[in-house]
Amino acid sequence: MEGQTPVVRRRTLVAVLATVLVLAPLGWLWFASLVPERYSVLQMGAADYGGGPGTFAHDHGETAGQPRLSVEQLVADPVRRADVRVDLAAARATLALGAKAVPGFTLNGTSPGPTIRAVQGQLVEVHLRNVDVADGVALHWHGVDVPNAEDGTAGVTQDAVLPGHDHVYRFVAEDAGTYWYHSHQLSAAQVAGGLLGALVVTPRPAVAQQVDALALSHTYGGVRTLNGVAGDQHVVTAPGRSVRLRLVNTDNGLVQVWGSAPYTVLAVDGHDVNRPTPVSGPAYTLTAGGRVDLGLTVPTDGSAVRVQVSKGLAVVVGPDGAPDVAPPPQPTAQVDLLSYGSPAPVGFDPATATRRFRYSIGHRPGFVDGRPGLWWSVNGHLYPNIPMMMVSSGDVVTVHLDNHSGEAHPMHLHGHHAVVLARDGVAATGSPWWFDSLDVADGATYDVAFVADNPGIWMDHCHNLEHAADGMVVHLMYTGVTTPYVIGGPVRNRPE
Amino acid sequence: MKNVYRVLAYAVAALVAVQAASIAYALFGLAKYIDGGGAVDKNSDGFPGVGGLMAHGVGGQLVIPVVALALLVVSFFAHVPGGVRWALIVLGTVVVQVALGIFSHSLPALGAVHGALALVLFGVAVTAAMRVGSATSVVDEPARVATPVA
Repeated sequence: MEGQTPVVRRRTLVAVLATVLVLAPLGWLWFASLVPERYSVLQMGAADYGGGPGTFAHDHGETAGQPRLSVEQLVADPVRRADVRVDLAAARATLALGAKAVPGFTLNGTSPGPTIRAVQGQLVEVHLRNVDVADGVALHWHGVDVPNAEDGTAGVTQDAVLPGHDHVYRFVAEDAGTYWYHSHQLSAAQVAGGLLGALVVTPRPAVAQQVDALALSHTYGGVRTLNGVAGDQHVVTAPGRSVRLRLVNTDNGLVQVWGSAPYTVLAVDGHDVNRPTPVSGPAYTLTAGGRVDLGLTVPTDGSAVRVQVSKGLAVVVGPDGAPDVAPPPQPTAQVDLLSYGSPAPVGFDPATATRRFRYSIGHRPGFVDGRPGLWWSVNGHLYPNIPMMMVSSGDVVTVHLDNHSGEAHPMHLHGHHAVVLARDGVAATGSPWWFDSLDVADGATYDVAFVADNPGIWMDHCHNLEHAADGMVVHLMYTGVTTPYVIGGPVRNRPE
Repeated sequence: MKNVYRVLAYAVAALVAVQAASIAYALFGLAKYIDGGGAVDKNSDGFPGVGGLMAHGVGGQLVIPVVALALLVVSFFAHVPGGVRWALIVLGTVVVQVALGIFSHSLPALGAVHGALALVLFGVAVTAAMRVGSATSVVDEPARVATPVA
């Protein structure tokens, strides 16, 4: 350039080089983070074989020489007739909650939708019809180890059901317990809007239970409700009766539960506790997505028992006209499932594990699909470069979970129940702590184990659905299984 | 370019003031909400003033780092005496401040350092801005003017 000395030209060049050095890495990171409009979960992230056998194949689904099974083939016995048939119609609605009107979703006109009841061993057949939910719907059976084709994850095990269309789910209710069902298409928004309901499977042979009550907790637009109604719930029972109170937490954060009288933890996440003892004092921490069955005895003197489900809401169990029970103060201690109840065999030996995974949750700056910000990371990676945990049918699997992200995460594994071996290095000494939803507090570590006995492609994600929508999703994949479905695509599948 | 540098540096200082303002607004909103019987937990929808918390998050994690980065890039071209050095100091302080904001979620006591360092960042940004038009830059000018046409 005319009139510029060599010194000035060099200074300008150095300045430009310095700028490139600063901005180029950022530009590269931005570009590398972009996600295509449609992609298969088979292509996400790097396959992690957990130290067990397996060879890397382009789509993560191929075992040399063996034909690949599609998730569509992983179904319940197609010939068997249904024992319980349910028709569910999903629609948009405005929900009236006391003084507040909140936009949301209904199933058969209500939120929560109808409670589905079955006896252990029965085949449940659900006919889902999407009336007018424009973005599509899908139903996931939270806590039920269904065949993979029935898991309800849009883009993984099915396409989202568009308005005017239907889908049939068929599964055998093999395990008794308290479960729930909810949308897994745009789950963060649709679950918040109330596209959910309870599922109760009673044991066979039937257990003598005098009173069986259900309280499903959900917060709509900031309004706390039990069974869709704002305000305390009343379970009317005669004095002296024993009650099984089934509690379901359908929100994104944990809820503390405590009572005005001692209670027993009968079941956690649908699995019975072995030889539980009465709890007097401590509260029970109910994980997001988790369920607990509490055993209560109504006093013989005509008074009621008050069970707080968070500070502002309670279930009052007792005779009609019983005097009001003052809300008991919130306890500082909580029941520790690590040592609650008595030990029992878990049915497999975790020491024989052939797959050992690390699931380390963090929080770091970066780009996700071109957006800069602070994102949840798994083993240091951001979505969609998160690990794919690869297992084969019959494997014994252990996972070491650790959370250094600054916030608690309720971790939910589809299609399987896992057992807690240790927390923060301390071995479990109580009843086997089987779970499908586990709250991992900030700074905590968990060692858990399970048997890979349900082939398919399963999501393993944070059940604070806002976090899942931000990419905190990992997949558990069985070798030899593939899926024809894609995230995005013509139906716009988006499981979160 | 010198003016761009000065404006960006003052912008960092102004944004720090906005950070303090937004968090204070949020906390007072929360106090008033609770006073009126409101309750906040993990599943709550928010309260009047929660926008302050969100603004603080976006401002601190995105806006201020982008402005500080722009300040650094501009400093390469602005030829402000000590300009690059002070832009680096501003950016470094922003990085520490954001890191403190992240780790304070696990260790709330660190939040106290996060609060105090905000004042340091404000001071550093103003100092960088005042580097423009300082005494040494006047000495620079005659030398450049005096460069003869070759």
